[in-house]
Amino acid sequence: MSNTTQSQGLMKRLFGGSGVGTTVLILLVFYVLLLVMFSFLSPYFMTLRNMTSISSNIALIGLMAAAGTPLIIAGGLDLSVAAVAGLTGVIIALLHAAGVPVWFAVLAAVAVAAVVGLINGILATYLRLNPLIVTLATMSIVTGVSLILTGGLTKPLFVDGFNWIGQDRLMGIPVPALLMLAVYIGLWLLMQKTHFGRYAFAVGGNPDASRLIGLPVDRSQIILYVMSAVSGAIAGTVLAAMLGAAAPNAAGPHLLTVIAAIILGGTSLQGGRGSVWGTLVAVLILGTLNNGLTLMNVTSFWQDVTRGVVLILAVGFDGLRQRMA
Amino acid sequence: MAAALPRLHMQDIYKSFGPVQVLNGVSMTVMPGEIVALLGSNGAGKSTLMKILTANYTKNAGEIRVNDKTTDFHSPRDAARVGIRFLPQEISVFPELTIAENICISAESKGAVNWADMAHRAVLVLEDLGFGHLDPQTLVNDLPVAERRIIEIARALEGQADILVMDEPTASLSEHESEQIFTILRRLKERGTSIVYISHYLKEVFEISDRIVVLRDGLNAGEFDPKTADVTAVVNSMLGKVAGSMFEDRPPLPAQSPVVLTTKRLTLPGKVEDVSFELRAGEIMGVFGLIGSGVEVLGRLIFGAEGRPPAGTLTLRDEPYTPLSPLKGKEAGIGFVTAERKTDGIMSDMSVRENLVAAFQTDFGNGFVTSPAAETAHTAKWIDKLGIKTAGPEQAIRFLSGGNQQKVCVARWLNPKVKVLILEEPTRGVDVGARKDIYRQLVAFARDGLAILVLSSDVEEIAGLSDRCMVIDRGRIIAEFGAGATPGDLMSASAQSETNS
Repeated sequence: MSNTTQSQGLMKRLFGGSGVGTTVLILLVFYVLLLVMFSFLSPYFMTLRNMTSISSNIALIGLMAAAGTPLIIAGGLDLSVAAVAGLTGVIIALLHAAGVPVWFAVLAAVAVAAVVGLINGILATYLRLNPLIVTLATMSIVTGVSLILTGGLTKPLFVDGFNWIGQDRLMGIPVPALLMLAVYIGLWLLMQKTHFGRYAFAVGGNPDASRLIGLPVDRSQIILYVMSAVSGAIAGTVLAAMLGAAAPNAAGPHLLTVIAAIILGGTSLQGGRGSVWGTLVAVLILGTLNNGLTLMNVTSFWQDVTRGVVLILAVGFDGLRQRMA
Repeated sequence: MAAALPRLHMQDIYKSFGPVQVLNGVSMTVMPGEIVALLGSNGAGKSTLMKILTANYTKNAGEIRVNDKTTDFHSPRDAARVGIRFLPQEISVFPELTIAENICISAESKGAVNWADMAHRAVLVLEDLGFGHLDPQTLVNDLPVAERRIIEIARALEGQADILVMDEPTASLSEHESEQIFTILRRLKERGTSIVYISHYLKEVFEISDRIVVLRDGLNAGEFDPKTADVTAVVNSMLGKVAGSMFEDRPPLPAQSPVVLTTKRLTLPGKVEDVSFELRAGEIMGVFGLIGSGVEVLGRLIFGAEGRPPAGTLTLRDEPYTPLSPLKGKEAGIGFVTAERKTDGIMSDMSVRENLVAAFQTDFGNGFVTSPAAETAHTAKWIDKLGIKTAGPEQAIRFLSGGNQQKVCVARWLNPKVKVLILEEPTRGVDVGARKDIYRQLVAFARDGLAILVLSSDVEEIAGLSDRCMVIDRGRIIAEFGAGATPGDLMSASAQSETNS
């Protein structure tokens, strides 16, 4: 009895939230099964080359889903993250073409993303607008602005040193994957070890109670909207560096995968529950699934179907958990 | 009454929710054209009995006869078909629809809407009630509260109500507006409609009803004829023997303790009117009021949860204080325990520890990083001190009983920075044992120097727990008592309030 409470306590400290540890474990097992299955089905799957190519793609999704996880835990939602990633690349490419040093261009793009996040946050908290609609609208606006700025064209972006973050390796591991890991560790520490993280869980778990206890409900959510946009900007930077080009809508098609990963990872759409590690494992699963299906010559059309089914299963599972709790 | 057969007869009704027996064989009879007042304090079983009548709940045992025919309803719709209509305390109209649409909405109809016929029917019912001057095409949103209530009654009549159950129909109305309702009730009575009238305003009850039925603890506690009965006798039968064992002897009030909180003419229009009082360190001040009286708003208003009060001044520890938000209230030294533990009290997915330290989170660890060890030590201390029954600080709070959750909600504010603690309905949904604990602990905290304000609709709680108490009704403080006020004193004061609208 006390043994189980102890191990639950350990789980909780590692993964946060009640019962989330179990979800992460189940997902990990599923991930391993997936790896084993695809290694049998395709000889190319378990090659270094393939693994590297998956990991860059996964890193992109992972970076976009990173700060979206704490945001949903705190009761928010950000659909504009992929559009922001696209705009980031566009701003970097255009500023660089205009003669601005590339890293300044990156800073400027991140600042613009932060402003988009701030606007999302203020609209969703102080003005009490539905975050789904607010960020759907900013998604449309941001995508539109990217297209206007580029005239819908892809802008080349080859800069010494810059493309390194998208294309090179450090100690044999692709840089985007390392970046993603760093972001996840940072967010995990933020959520588990700081007062801010605790507020995020409380605010998402019961906003009315949090307000009555005098917690900074609106401020916490706004900060998380900004963080979500910034993590989109990091993803956009990596994407542009990876492609050596900025395409205005390069990240757009990934949005559904990003949201699916967060929900599949055990983060509750109702707020108050979830963990960044769950999201990470879910990103690994979805990325691997995609890659495995491609290797097995399944068309990308079927992959859209698979992704939708997985999303419904994940949400259904979340609903089931809510009712059992 | 000439008619020999009762319109409604409920015999030996039993009802339990899980292990809690709410009705233990209650009986009630209503004749055609009779107005029966149903009285009882909180939890006596009035609402449950009426919800069984309207088939919102199913009874465990007993018999309901309408016009001498045994009935067995499966849904509120069945009850409505034989002419039973229930008007809940909260007015339920559709504000965005017209008067005609509201009145005719429950009528059984098929096919296309016949607007002319609908307006015609609405006018007929309204004329019948003496309100023929209302234009059926007016939006209900544009009507004052009293007229919305009349629209609700008209809707019930359009549905051919023979038995009308009204729960506190005058709760949000002024004296004059209440008179309008009474006029209608007398008219309905002449037509032969039977009315069950739930109210705590004894003055109204004596004025309007033909018979008074009192419930207490799920049993019939007496029947009175309003023409001859004495108010005190009715109040006594509502309260029964006072449960003296809940409250223990307490140390005397500290002499000359300083005033901590003063309110002057505090007002939130329509909810709290002109409330002035002083609260001293070391004392428990109780405010008794029924639901809708302002008792559920006053505490929030002082704490800051209602935003800046439109009128009135407050002083907190000799400094001017303006309630703006719960965060500001907390910073000024006020703690607040809500009545709605589940909806705005606890974070149910979080642990006992996380819930208990939530209000003063940054006291543990440094300004940025938490210290789970310090939090655990603090939580363990209060679990021990308040006797909170939990598997440990890490247990999710939703697994605790109501009483233990409540102790966590109280413990969360027991911090030296908090000088005034406001509690709403501190023992609602709390079992008897934990209730006694909470009372004893609140007295101890007060005598340690905390100023405590308790707001409750439980008359025995306020009478037993308070060093001083007040009665609030329609937003106003209508009576004040020193120590030793009995539940009967408070109830009589509340029930006989004179209001000047």
